[in-house]
This record gives sequence, structure tokens and C-alpha cells, in this order.
Amino acid sequence: MAKTDLQGTLDLLVLKTLAQNGALHGYGIVQHIQSASGELLRVEEGSLYPALHRMEQNGWIAAEWSMTETNRRAKYYKLTAQGRRQLQQAEDSFDQLVKGVRAVLRYA
Amino acid sequence: MAIFRRIANLMHRSNVDREIDAELESHIAMRIDENIARGMSPDEARRDALVRFGNTTATREHVVAADAMLGIESFWADVRYAWRQLIKSPGFTVTVAITLALGIGANTAIFSSMDAVVLRPLAVPAMDRVVTVFERQDRSGDRSVALANYFDWSRQTRSFEELAVRTGADMSLTGAGDAAHVHAEMTSADFFSVLRIQPVLGRLFVADECRPGRDSVALLNYGFWQRRFAGNPHIVGQKIELDQRTYTVIGVLPKSVQYPSEADIFLPLAPSPQQIADRSDHDYLVNGRLRDGVTVNQAQAELRTIAEHLATTYPSTNLGWTVRIEPLLDGINGDLTPLYYRLVMGATLFVLLIVCANVANLQFARGIERRPEIAMRTALGASRTRLLRQLLTENLLLGLIGAVGGLIFGALYLRLTLVLMPERVARHMSGWSNISLNGRVFAFSLLLALLAGLISGFAPALEALRLNLSDQLKAGSRGTTASARSHRLRSIFAIAQVSLAVALVIGAALMSKGMRAQLHVADGYEPQKILTFGITLPASRYDTPQKQAAWYDDSLAKLRALPGVTHANVTTALPYSDYAWNREFQIENRPAAPGKDQSALDLPVSADYFSAFHIGIVAGRKFETGDSAQSTPVAIVSRRFAVRYFPTQNPLGHRIRMGGRDSREPWVTIVGISDEAKYTLWDQNEYAAVYLDAAQVPPAGATYAVATKGDPLALAGSARRALASIDPGLPLDTLETYRQLLNENLVGLMFAAGMIALDALVALFLAAIGIFGVMANLVGERTREIGVRLAMGARREDVLGMILRRASRLTAIGLGTGLVLAFCLARLVANLLRGVRPDDPVVFIGIAVAIAAIALASSWVPARRASRVDPMQALRSE
Repeated sequence: MAKTDLQGTLDLLVLKTLAQNGALHGYGIVQHIQSASGELLRVEEGSLYPALHRMEQNGWIAAEWSMTETNRRAKYYKLTAQGRRQLQQAEDSFDQLVKGVRAVLRYA
Repeated sequence: MAIFRRIANLMHRSNVDREIDAELESHIAMRIDENIARGMSPDEARRDALVRFGNTTATREHVVAADAMLGIESFWADVRYAWRQLIKSPGFTVTVAITLALGIGANTAIFSSMDAVVLRPLAVPAMDRVVTVFERQDRSGDRSVALANYFDWSRQTRSFEELAVRTGADMSLTGAGDAAHVHAEMTSADFFSVLRIQPVLGRLFVADECRPGRDSVALLNYGFWQRRFAGNPHIVGQKIELDQRTYTVIGVLPKSVQYPSEADIFLPLAPSPQQIADRSDHDYLVNGRLRDGVTVNQAQAELRTIAEHLATTYPSTNLGWTVRIEPLLDGINGDLTPLYYRLVMGATLFVLLIVCANVANLQFARGIERRPEIAMRTALGASRTRLLRQLLTENLLLGLIGAVGGLIFGALYLRLTLVLMPERVARHMSGWSNISLNGRVFAFSLLLALLAGLISGFAPALEALRLNLSDQLKAGSRGTTASARSHRLRSIFAIAQVSLAVALVIGAALMSKGMRAQLHVADGYEPQKILTFGITLPASRYDTPQKQAAWYDDSLAKLRALPGVTHANVTTALPYSDYAWNREFQIENRPAAPGKDQSALDLPVSADYFSAFHIGIVAGRKFETGDSAQSTPVAIVSRRFAVRYFPTQNPLGHRIRMGGRDSREPWVTIVGISDEAKYTLWDQNEYAAVYLDAAQVPPAGATYAVATKGDPLALAGSARRALASIDPGLPLDTLETYRQLLNENLVGLMFAAGMIALDALVALFLAAIGIFGVMANLVGERTREIGVRLAMGARREDVLGMILRRASRLTAIGLGTGLVLAFCLARLVANLLRGVRPDDPVVFIGIAVAIAAIALASSWVPARRASRVDPMQALRSE
């Protein structure tokens, strides 16, 4: 099985979110995933930040402090070139996973 | 860079914590803002936000862990993992560690000796500011300086902070143990401030002591203090007697600055008024420290301008004289020592490359064995970079283990060279006694270890990662074979080893051959049958030429009377000793053309010298017993002298006088012309020679050459007793055979050739192992195929031939590239060293054949094993 687990799924969601929205802070990422999934997916907020920092250490995303529209200081994340490649890979393997799982479920 | 950020994170843990807190707080604050906007009360909004977020402390810890874990922690994990892997295959680890230790150790030893001798021979602060100043005239080359010129320079120059002057003298030390012959250096007081020397004991000269009558103080060089006074800490204040004059020891100079290296004792230079005004006696050495910002060329230009003024003011002495300045470092070891060191260092780095190739080869083999492990880790989610890092960590660890071994090996190696080299080497090399394993050496070996780890590990690590995951997992634990690519890489490494070894061995052989030629230049004199030693007659007791001549007469008569002695002679320099003194001379009734060099070797010899050294007389006569202090002084000149200075006349009957224009030496009449004899070993200049009769113009010091029928050293005791019966107070210097004396002049070359030969041996050995490894591995992997071939009816000879053909191909390519490389190397060495022929076909062909034989021999064992494969077993084992 390719490298796809639940953590991998969170990474995929975050990377995709950042790819679609440019720079976002953690709270914004949570909000976006929730609304874009039609409230189906709820990100465990406490587990988001370790994932963000891990991805930052891996060089997939970059962060900088900036001001929100409501004038709060927040840490904004955006995708790096490496992150874009990682996203491509993660999407591919997720597709594989979905296909595989679906095939198993349909197996009569 | 992520890695730096991680390290920075570890260092500023509190900063990171604060930043994470701020981020989490801002998240919660945003949630609260939105909850309030949706109509919750502030308290409610806050509670909801915290509940949704969960445990902030735990989250923070997780975030911190995410930051740090990938950094240092995982590095240590890698190191620990690497260590376990290495422990698991001890055979491999030990082999690699020893190979690396050998390569790194040799480099460490050579570097530490090169560092001490060539790079930093003296612990002089801002050494690049310190220079030596020479005078030169016409085609004379660098000459020492006349004292009056020095005083004019130091008054007028703006380029130097300080300009110091010194001159050397041989003296005999009495009053403390046996009489000994020492080299004293008379220096101006500022000599030590030019070098920024502080004494380890006592004090230095003060300017006031550099005046006649006040100069009876002495400083000891460190080495001399150790040798002669056993490092006595209470030496300051003691009296010593030099040439019957009493001096008080006022200090000891440091070990780290022993310059000039041949000096034993330093005395104040206290010139008389006549000496201060002398412009013709070029007998002083000048060292100076440049002002900041002044270059060597600027200083030289300035002194040249001053020299031009002096030449117009004093044309009779200064016409044609100019100045040359060189950095002190350039002059300390001459041209050859740094050259030898560079050659040896280069060769030794070559060996390290071969070591790396060897280790890489072993790594390739191991990489194949490790495929299942790597496949497993990949399947478990390790990324390629992660694995690469892991494999490289393993290599760096190996490199470091090698470096530790290398330091031990290097220390042994250094001890060995220090023991094998004659003690007197220290007198020719300022930095010799400072050789040690210091911080720079450690840094150097560490650097080599890291480089060796990376070089030897990179290609195999990349190769190990190029695997097809599913194939590998399908193959499971069954034996796997390497890809064609991996085979090609391994073959390339084996070829590289062979060609590097070929180049090194040929280079070493050419050098040894050149050295042998040099060693045997003097064979015609039968140097192994000649006993030599030096004598210096103290001026106080031998104050007239009559007394000196009487000493030589008596001593030679006593020596000739000893049993077994065939000849006994004195000369100031033996052939090929590099010891003869090239001096100016005057021809009677022919004023020297100003600005023209007119010089010849000044060689007072005893009458029998010419027959003992087979130097023919081509015209005129030899020295005869009738030539004495009472008769007209005579000279014999070399043929080159006659051609150069009497091209149209017969020199016989003309009178010449050694020394400058104001020389007070006697006029001598030329009575004979001799064949050429060579007095220099390294110096390529062709010198004219003037032989004087030691009975008429006795030198203050001379070398004895006593030819014997048997072992000359057996004669040493009786020779010593014979001379002591005439004058018990005269020390005999360096009693040895003429062969030993010649060999000492070749010590540098022998050292270089010996080290390179050692390097070549190691290289050859490693190349043989390399070929063996590649072939053994090949046979191991193809056992099954060979089994099939044999089962299908192939003959064993075919299999043997197949393997040997492959080994021959590797060897042939290696030899081909190696020969090209060797040819370039030989050209380089021949340009640098005399006596080395770059196109010596015997060496090239002989060594190529020898190495081919060794390579084939080392593949014989695997080839034989291949031909003995039992087909049934080979097929069953799969």
C-alpha cells in the first residue's frame, strides 16, 4: 500500500487548501476545509498545528506573521514549490487509495 | 535552511514556545471573535473556543516535537542506527576502518610534518611581513650584504619597521664539558624584535651590548640548550667560554622560533669602526620587518633606489650592485624541501583517493546485500532523502572511525620518520623539532574523514537506493544480484584504483632511480672507504699561519702512520659536499671590471689531495713538498677557471689573490691546471675552482679525508687518539664515512622517495584488493549462471578463461589510463627533480608488466573458485 494514512489525508487537505487560497492562517484553514467539504469534514483543531509545523520543517509550506482583517496578529502559511510537488503526489496516491477501497467495497 | 532553523529552535526553546503560544492564542481569539459575532456571550464564546481546540498544552508539546524531532533528534537516531548497522557486519566495518585509517593516517602524518616544516616553521607573528634582503651583482645570484650598505639602508629606508643584521661564525666552546665546535650567530639587538621573539628564560640583548667591549653576553638556541646543557633551568648567569673569551649566558630562545636553525649560540654583533665602513666584504645577512601596507616589491624598489645612489657615490665598491628581497618563509627551507613535501603530500592524497575507491567498492557490495533492508524501510514510508541521509551518516561515521585510527596510525608513522631521520636534520630545517599532532592537524584529519566518507559513500548510497520496490519485495530474502549499472560503477572504481596505482608506482620508481643515480655520483672516490671529520682551529691558540700549517703537517703525518691508512688529506670541501665557498678574487695587473662577477671556489688542500681524489693535472705541476710557508705561495686552477678568466693567455705564472679588492690575503702564483671536480650536488651553477696549498695558506678549519683499506669507522678511535696526542683540546666534528656524509645531503630526496615508495606500495596493495573484490563478487553473483553453463557442457577452462578475460579487460583499461597518467606525472617530477628521466622505458614497461601480473594473480583465486563450482549444488541452492 502506498504511503497514505490519516495523517497523510490531513496533509493533503491542508496543501490543497493552501494551493487554492494562497496564504492562510491556521484558523482560516480550519474554516475553509469545513465549508469546502459542506461541513462534512471537521478538522481536529489541536492536531492541525503539529501537522502545519511538520510540513513547515519539511519545507512544503512557508510561514510568516501578518495582520488579519480584524487586526489580529496571526501566522500565515503558504505553499512552497516543494509543497506543490508534494501535493501532486499526495493527490495521486489518494486517488489510488480511493479507487482501491471502492473496488474492495464493490467486490461481490 | 530548515536544518539551521531546527538547530536554532533547539537553542532558543523559549522563543519557540512563545511563538507557538502566540499562534495558538491567535487561533482561539479568532474563534472567540466569530462566536461573539454569532451572538454568544463572551464567556460562552471563550468556553466553546477552548473546547473545540482541545488541550492547548498538549498541542503545544506536539508542535514543539514536530519542530525538533526531525532535526537533531533524528540525526542522533541516524547515528545510533548507523552504529548498530556497522556492528552487525564487523568484517566489513573493520576492513573499511583499517583502510580508511591507513589513508587518513598517512595524510595526517605527512601534513603534520609539512605544516611544521614548510607552512609554519617559525612561530613568528605576522610572518609574511618579515623578509630577507640580499645584494646581487651581475650574474652572481644572491649574495650577502656589506655592512656599510646595510647601515645606509637602515638610515634611509621608509619601508621597514626594523632592519636587522647578522653574521655567522664557527667557534669552539670550552669550559663546560668537552670542547665542542658550535655555530654562533652575531646579531644586532633588533634581530629579535624583527622576529618578535620573547626568550623562554632570561632576557634578550639591549642595543648598548652591540658595541665592542660590552658584547660578552650570549643567548642560547633552544635545541642547543637542550643538547648541551640538558635544559638546565639555572643556566642564566653562568659563564661560557667561546674561542677563549668568556661570555655570560643571559637567556634562552624559544623552541618555536629556532632561526637560523643551524645557530647554537647568539652573540651581540659589535662591529669595529672599520667594519662599519666596509663596502666590499659581503658577509652579512639582513632581515627586516615591513611596515603595514608595504609590499615586498615596494620595499625592494625603494632599496634599489638607495643602492643606485650608493653605486654613484662609491663606484669602486658598489657599481653594479643591486638588492633583492624575498619573504623569510621562502628562504627558510630553500627550494627543495617544500617541493618534496608537496610531491609527497600529493602522492599521499592520491593514496587516499585509492582508499576511497576501495571503500566505495566494498560499499557497493554491501549495498546489494542490504537491498531487502532498504526495500523494507521504503515500504514502511521512509523517503529517499531520508534513506540517503541514513546511508551517508553511516559513511561519515565510518570516516570518523577511520580518522581516529588515522590519528593513532599517523602518530606511529611520525614517530617512525622522526626516528629514521638523522638527528642533524633539525639543524637544516627550522621547523623540524616542532612537528606534532596539533589542532590544525586534527582539523585536517577531520576534514579528510568527512570528505572520504562522502566520496566513498555517495555513489554506492545512490546506487543502493535505485531499486524496484515490488521486485525486491517479491524476491524476498533470496540472493539478489546487482544491476548492470552497479557492475559498471564497481568496474570503474577498480579501474581507477589500478590506474592510480600504476601512476604512483611508476612515479616512485622513477624517483628512486634518480635518487640512486645521485647516491652513486661519488662512487669513483670509494666513499665507503674514507673516514671524514671536521676540525676548527681556535684563533686564540692558532694565531699565525705557521702554527696552523704545523698542525696540518703534524696531524696528517700522524694519520698517515696509522695502520691501514692509504691516504690522509685535508680540504675545505669534499667533492659533492655542497660545502665549498665561492669567493671573489683579484688578478694581478688586471683591475676587475666593475660590475663583473669574478669568483671561484676557494679550496685550500693538502698536497696529496689530487692523487687521492684522482684529479688529473693537465698542465704545469702538482703541489710539492718543497711548497711551504717559506716558499712562494702557489695555486692550481681548474680548467674551467683557465677558460673563463684566461681565454687567450696561459694562466701559468700569473698571480691571483682570493678575496675582495682590499683583501689582505697573499698573492699566489698559478703553477698548474687541473681537471674538473664537482663540489656541488644540487647547485647547477658551474663554478671555477682555485686550489691553494694548505701548507702555505692554511685554512682556519678543514675537513679531513682519511682513506683506509678496511672499515673506516674502525679507525675512528685511533684517529682521535692520534690527534689528541698533538692537541687534546680540539674537538672532532661529525666523525663519519664519506658515504654517510654524501647520504646526508640526500636525506631530503631519500625521505621524499621513501614516502612515495611507501605510498606506491599501499596503492598497489589496495588495487590488488580492489580487483580481487570485484572479481570475487562477480563470481559470487554468477555462481548459478556458471553452474548452468557447466551443466550445459561448458568446460572448466572456459569458465576460468571467462573470468580471467574479464579481469584482464579491467586491468588493461586501468593500465592504459594509468600509463598516460604516469607519463604526465613523470614529466612533472622530471621538471622538478634532477636525475629523473621521464621516458625511462625500462621502468614503464617493467612496472606495467608487474602490475598486470599482480592484478591477474589477485583475480586468479576467484576465477579458480568459479571453475570449481559444482553445478548441482549451484542450481540447488537457489
